[in-house]
Amino acid sequence: MKFSFFHLMPYPYLPDDFDEKYDSSALTYPNANFDPKLGSALYARYLDELEYADQLGFDGVAVNEHHQSAYGLMPSPNLMAAALARRTTQARIMVLGNAIGIRGNPLRVAEEIAMLDLMSGGRVDSGFVRGIGWEYFGHSINPTKSRSRFNEAHDLIIKAWTSEEMFSWYGDNYEYRYVNLWPRPLQQPHPPIYIPGAGSTETMRFCAERKYTYMSVYAPTRIVRRWFDGYRQAAADLGYVPDPERIAFSVPVYVADTDEQAHAEARPVIEWLYRKGLKQTAEMVTPPGYMSPGSLRGVLSSGLRGLGGDYDELRANGQAVVGSPAAVAERLARLYDELGGFGQLIGLFAIGPSTHEQVMRSAELFASEVMPALRPLGVAQETAIS
Amino acid sequence: MADVSPAEEFLELAGGRVHLLRGGVGEPVLFLHAAGGAGQWLEFHGLLAGAGFEVIAPDHPGFGKSDDFPEVEAIDDLVYHYLDVLDGLGLDRPHVVGASFGGWIAAELAVHSPHRIGSLTLLSAAGLRLPEHPVTDLFLLPPARLMATLFHNPPPADPAQAAPAPPPDAAPDLDAIIAAYREATSLARFSWVPFLSDPKLERRLHRITAPTLVAAPSDDRLIPVEHAKRYAATIPGAVYAEVADCGHAMYFERPAAFAAVITEFLASHPLAESGVSR
Repeated sequence: MKFSFFHLMPYPYLPDDFDEKYDSSALTYPNANFDPKLGSALYARYLDELEYADQLGFDGVAVNEHHQSAYGLMPSPNLMAAALARRTTQARIMVLGNAIGIRGNPLRVAEEIAMLDLMSGGRVDSGFVRGIGWEYFGHSINPTKSRSRFNEAHDLIIKAWTSEEMFSWYGDNYEYRYVNLWPRPLQQPHPPIYIPGAGSTETMRFCAERKYTYMSVYAPTRIVRRWFDGYRQAAADLGYVPDPERIAFSVPVYVADTDEQAHAEARPVIEWLYRKGLKQTAEMVTPPGYMSPGSLRGVLSSGLRGLGGDYDELRANGQAVVGSPAAVAERLARLYDELGGFGQLIGLFAIGPSTHEQVMRSAELFASEVMPALRPLGVAQETAIS
Repeated sequence: MADVSPAEEFLELAGGRVHLLRGGVGEPVLFLHAAGGAGQWLEFHGLLAGAGFEVIAPDHPGFGKSDDFPEVEAIDDLVYHYLDVLDGLGLDRPHVVGASFGGWIAAELAVHSPHRIGSLTLLSAAGLRLPEHPVTDLFLLPPARLMATLFHNPPPADPAQAAPAPPPDAAPDLDAIIAAYREATSLARFSWVPFLSDPKLERRLHRITAPTLVAAPSDDRLIPVEHAKRYAATIPGAVYAEVADCGHAMYFERPAAFAAVITEFLASHPLAESGVSR
């Protein structure tokens, strides 16, 4: 099992009347509520936490991209990765990911990831995401083109990384007469690719065909199980059993010295994450065309209708893992079984308004007591089906 | 007169099938529906037909029972699509009436092919880019606020549906949700950005040669009335009319008033006078 420390870099200072006054922490939440002095201190604190995770022995430190939101303060994950490249030494630097569905110029992503790979000595993992629904409003990108833009940007970036000859590109969304990437990435043929999945069978097949890592987003265990099984089935259809490391389970994790302390401290921050941080309207989640009719039907009929926010229910559903080191290790081992196995755990340790001290302690306890217990799980190699 | 019942037809084009409703006898009126209302024959349509017109109401690509026509990606493609529809229906120079999104298509069609338009009626048409009078972002409005935006007097919730309230975890009507999402997706395909407008349209409006009526509701909370007034001021010879106590839902909210304004205009500009009927 590989473990990574994922950071959303939330802006936790929401006003007391947030729940009544605002229908989301994103897109329309006024930026007058952002205090630059507090924001500057948050960046320093959050980078310290990621750097500490590297020192603690996490296999990866992970950042992602969000726009116009208090939920996550990283419009450019590559800037954070650049800072981490010089201040970490061991951990993989996981950009999970660049929102190539909403980028105007995907060649810029190919260039920046190549730079990061060189700067970090080949430690970069490159995630690609479509961008969340509200970001199609915020960056004025037509959501009906989302899938097409994502697929084309992906193909262009991979070709730009791997081609040693200049080429031209004529696509539905992008046209380049000269693609001739300088610099090229250090890892060959290119940095490992991570793709989040939320039920789309197209994405499962896309990842299985290319042996990309398929990572879950926060959802109840029975639904994540269906996604992971879908990925495994897509690999089986191609004649192989995937290396468990290609399956990554994402979940908020909170560890404290005792169960009592953990629950007392985690309840408000977990509820903040799901009730405030992820608060958004249906219109923001699924702008028109962001999902295909088939995917929408699948989501609606699966019963995934919102993330809820009840603390006990979230824990029961595997959308938050909380407790003493022993309890967290036991719970994750059970989730490993319930999900049919996975080889990577992407833990969200800095949750909502949790304090720096809480996050550091949680990460310490996880690294020293939980990781060793789970390390042997999920390490089989990929095998061909004979 | 309002109970003219329409015939349902499908027109085969190279890119797919167009669904349309047709009713009434008289000069042809091509009616281009708003973002809502595809495939519906309402009191309004019956009133137009009953006043002595042959009303032909196709569903736009990706709306109602028309196919998606994936190659129709933007407003210029819609213009060519409707030129195909005119040809397919054998309409040489009909009256063209367009509402809201359909009004934008009608205006672009009249700019592109002024000789194909017998008369032009724009009902609070989208299409102009007036940054000082922005169009409300209907894509971000939750259903209840959308209704409050569209109507001057929002209709009370249908009592048959309001009581008893469905249990909160009742299975949603998947087919209805997906059909609505498909139409919103089609609208977004054509109009996400530039938002419900073609920045070049205004400077091309002088090309329109057909007699033109621009009509607007008095209380349009979606497309500010300044858009209609700009159309009226820019299209050569256009006349302007306003319907009182009405919101952007126009022919849904005050069908008789809108039908009266339109039929009076159409009757005073018979196609025969322009030398071509269809």
